[in-house]
Amino acid sequence: MAEKYLAQPDLNFIKEVRELGGESLNKCFQCATCTIACPISPEDSPFPRKEMIAASWGLKDKLITSGDIWLCHECGDCSDLCPRDAKPGDVLSAIRSVAITEYARPKFLAKAVNNPKALPFLIGIPAIWFAILAIITMTAGDTMTKIFHGVFGDILGGRFHWAHAHEPGVIAHADFFSTWFVDLTFVPTAIFATLVFALGLKDFIRNIHENAMLEGKTNKKKIEIAGFLKALGKVIIPVLKHDKFNECEADKDRSTPHMMVLFSFIGLFIVTSIFFIALYVLNSHAPYSQINPVKWLANISAVALIIGVSLMIRNRLAKKDTQLTFYKDWYILGLIFILAVSGLLAELVRLAGFKTGAYFCYYIHLIAILNLFLFLPFSKMAHFVYRLVSMAYAEYSGRKY
Amino acid sequence: MTTDNSAPVSGSIMVAGGGISGLTTALEAAEVGYEVFLIEKEASLGGRVSQLKHYFPKLCPPTCGLEINYRRIKDNPKIRVYTMSEIESVEGSAGNYTVKVKTLPRYVNENCTCCGDCADVCETEIANSFNFDMDKRKAAYMPSNMAFPQRYVIDPSISADDKERIKTACKYDAVDFDMEEKTFDPKVGSIVWATGWKPSDATNIDNRGFGKHQNIITNMMLERLASVNGPTGGKIIRPSDSKEIETIAFAQCAGSRDEDHLPYCSYICCMASLKHATYIREQYPEAKIYIYYIDLRTPGLKYERFYKNLKEDENVFFVKGKVAEVAEVAGGNIELGAEDTLIGEKIKQTVDLLVLATGMQPSAAIENVCSDLQTNPDGFMINDFEKGGQFAAGCANKPADVVTSNQNATGMALKAIQTLRRG
Repeated sequence: MAEKYLAQPDLNFIKEVRELGGESLNKCFQCATCTIACPISPEDSPFPRKEMIAASWGLKDKLITSGDIWLCHECGDCSDLCPRDAKPGDVLSAIRSVAITEYARPKFLAKAVNNPKALPFLIGIPAIWFAILAIITMTAGDTMTKIFHGVFGDILGGRFHWAHAHEPGVIAHADFFSTWFVDLTFVPTAIFATLVFALGLKDFIRNIHENAMLEGKTNKKKIEIAGFLKALGKVIIPVLKHDKFNECEADKDRSTPHMMVLFSFIGLFIVTSIFFIALYVLNSHAPYSQINPVKWLANISAVALIIGVSLMIRNRLAKKDTQLTFYKDWYILGLIFILAVSGLLAELVRLAGFKTGAYFCYYIHLIAILNLFLFLPFSKMAHFVYRLVSMAYAEYSGRKY
Repeated sequence: MTTDNSAPVSGSIMVAGGGISGLTTALEAAEVGYEVFLIEKEASLGGRVSQLKHYFPKLCPPTCGLEINYRRIKDNPKIRVYTMSEIESVEGSAGNYTVKVKTLPRYVNENCTCCGDCADVCETEIANSFNFDMDKRKAAYMPSNMAFPQRYVIDPSISADDKERIKTACKYDAVDFDMEEKTFDPKVGSIVWATGWKPSDATNIDNRGFGKHQNIITNMMLERLASVNGPTGGKIIRPSDSKEIETIAFAQCAGSRDEDHLPYCSYICCMASLKHATYIREQYPEAKIYIYYIDLRTPGLKYERFYKNLKEDENVFFVKGKVAEVAEVAGGNIELGAEDTLIGEKIKQTVDLLVLATGMQPSAAIENVCSDLQTNPDGFMINDFEKGGQFAAGCANKPADVVTSNQNATGMALKAIQTLRRG
């Protein structure tokens, strides 16, 4: 570092990191075993030793602006060899949580996600919201039909009906909860999450670039969009293949479940997009036939998601030494588990012909999905955006790791 | 502490361990008139100190300190020395203990003149534990050239043929294969445990490669290599191919200050490695010496000065960063990995020899010591002066250098005496 740097210790930051899983932070005595143990740490300005001391000193500004904290995949090799049991892996994970909270706005939502006391609200508010909409769907169909007709008339050839017709006699979740309400809830939620990410990323990219210049981690002066996008393209395949993740020793078994979960989400995203188009463009309504290939993808993804997340939970429960699990981790794991199980059950129970059960599962499923979407930029799940961008930046800036 | 000075001198003191601390306690107590039983497990007194080439910081050979102490023992009829002996049990209370001591057969009696004829004819060879098994010795051997008592010892694993040959060879009727294990039960008033330490087992440290790569040795092995009475006659060469040393690295805190091994600081290893740098410098003026450390601890003016002198040596390099990985590369060289934390860069370095600065583990952590003292989780005995009667001295009590051990041992001699006079 050529420039003078005046340390600004932030005691509250130390407290936050400790609360979010970095309790062991101040055991570190800077031996740097972690740096060498880490299979992906760069040669110059390697991590996580420098992050450990910066965190002990409360140098929040240095850490949340660092792209390096995102290059870490929390494999636990460092924690495994740490002679002080200071668990650098968990400390970095906690620092990332603080960073997510820092970039995501509004702040109160970010705080709520990491606070167990806020959980009843995170579940309760969507529960009430969906309950109201379900009651409207089931009891006020005629009124809604009239409203729809009044508002939209016959535009687009009268496609805008209240009810999305389906074959009579089958159980359809749309009878319980209108497809319109689903999309009126989730489309704005998705837009909101995207905006929050966009705003956060704007600051994030600027910050990590300034940090890299300050610490001599890059010789690039400014970020050129084209070059950056090219770098992003270059990291996508290694990310999908979990190349970096697979370099881990201590927690090798975490890579496969993570990959299952990632691919399931990608699969389900594709399914949702196709059915969205099917509904609004092709006017084809759920439930769809089980022999439809898109439905296959949906079912396979759902099963893979359940297996993946279950393995993750099992790994977390079994591992006490190299990786600690905190509320922030359980919240996400629990959420994905409930989301996946309720989703698959909603389908199975529907096929079994048990209407109330199917509706109930669907209700739970909706609450879980809203939690996931709404809090995506605020929860640990945001890692997929920040890590991807950091890896792309590392590629762009020529940081070898 | 006030004591009743009118009480007569009574009872005796048992000292368990004949290393530098035990010798000091025994002599201090005996020289003011108390009877002392000095019990040593090995065949010779001297303990770890006798394995060293030099003491720090004065860099004088341990012979000087030990010789004076042995002289004092010889001159003092109050001390009875029992080598090859261990305390099997302790009964009773402060002022009135009955101790059961077991003595293993030495097969050599007081007639021995150390002529060495027995070793000359002996064909059986055993691993030389005095040199950390780096070489072999005859099954009839002198524990070391400065052993006390100066007498040969014969290992029980000796062959029947060798027994015959030795009996014939010995001109002084000093060999007695009919010797048997003996026990005796002295009564003593107080006991001082000076059971010392062992070098911690470096094979347990995953990322240091000891036991896997020949050219990774421990600091105590280096002491033996550097000592004139060691396996190489004092020439420091590397084990795999006897190559002379051009580059050498020291890995500090090898096991010490590590929650998975010895969670505490062993106190002596920093000074030991600095001292070892002087050994290397003496034999190889051009050799490059690298000391990888987390924190260097050289307490006190003299040690600090020792460190300062070495820092001025242009071939001694101090690197702040722990050696966190090792590998054997071409030619048996060792490649080590660390982060130089002062500049924040990863380092890979290839050296001829890597010395692990292993720490000290109290004997009580490994072997059963039948004291009534509590031990801390690491195995160091905690003194209980309220209770009295039994005390821990030197490295049985805490990791310490020779100076500190001696101060502590002198203090424990006084504590042992106080027990007798109060009781």
